[in-house]
Amino acid sequence: MAGEDRTYTLSGFAVPAQLEAVHALLKQVATDHPELDPMDVMLFETAIIEIADNVVEHGRPQGEVQWTFTIRVREDEIEAVLDDTGQPFTPDTCSAMPDGYAEGGRGLPLAKQLLDRIEFSRFEDANHWRLTRRLGQVPPEFQI
Amino acid sequence: MPFTETDHADYIVLAPTGKFNMVSAPLLKTRMDDLVAAGKARLIIDMSSVEFIDSSGLGALIGGLKGTRQAGGELRLAAPGDQARAVLKLTNLDRILTPYKTVEEAADGW
Repeated sequence: MAGEDRTYTLSGFAVPAQLEAVHALLKQVATDHPELDPMDVMLFETAIIEIADNVVEHGRPQGEVQWTFTIRVREDEIEAVLDDTGQPFTPDTCSAMPDGYAEGGRGLPLAKQLLDRIEFSRFEDANHWRLTRRLGQVPPEFQI
Repeated sequence: MPFTETDHADYIVLAPTGKFNMVSAPLLKTRMDDLVAAGKARLIIDMSSVEFIDSSGLGALIGGLKGTRQAGGELRLAAPGDQARAVLKLTNLDRILTPYKTVEEAADGW
C-alpha cells in the first residue's frame, strides 16, 4: 500500500481560517492513498472537521489555542490524533442527534456516527483526541 | 461573499460555493434573514457548488427554513453533492429538507 507508514501532521492555531488547512491535509492523505474509498475519506473528513469545529468554537482562550493533527492510514482504519492546548474539557459524546428543527448540537453526534472510536484524555496541559474510522464500512446508500 | 444570489421575482436562488461551514454559514444565514425581512420568503439554496458542509451549515439551513416558514414561505434545497446528501441523511434532516435534484425542480410550482 503506497505511503502506508507515512504520517500526516499539521500544527497551528485553532481558528476558523485554519479549517482549510485541515481539509488540505485530508486531501493530501486521499491523494497519496488512491486505494481508499473516496466516501470513506469524505465521511472521516466530515467527522474530523466537526471535532475541529468544536475546538475552534469552545477552546479557550479563544484564538490562542494551538493544535496538532496527526493522521495515519492503516490497512483497516484511518486515525486522527488531535492535541489541543485549550482549557480542560469533557466532550459530551453521549448526546443524541437533536430534534429536526434544532439549529445546533449536531456536531458531536454526527462525528460519533462516523467514527468507530472517539478516545479523549487530558494530560500535560493539553486535550488529546484519538479519532478512528474503520475502512470499508460505507453503507450502500452512501456509495458514490 | 461566499455565495451568489439570483432574483427570479417569485423566488430567490442563493448558491453558496466551496465550504459551507462555520466561516461562511453565518453570512448566508444573515442574508436569508434579510431577504425574509424584506418579504422574500421563497428561497432555493443551490448546493451544486458546495463541496463540503458541516453542522454549522446545516444549522443555517434549518434557521433559514424556520424563518421562511414563519413568513409564509419556504426554503428548498437543490442539487446537494455526495457529502451533503450523506450528512443530511445521517442527521435525519433529509426528512424535513428533502433535496430536489435541480434548481428547476425546486422552483416547480413557484
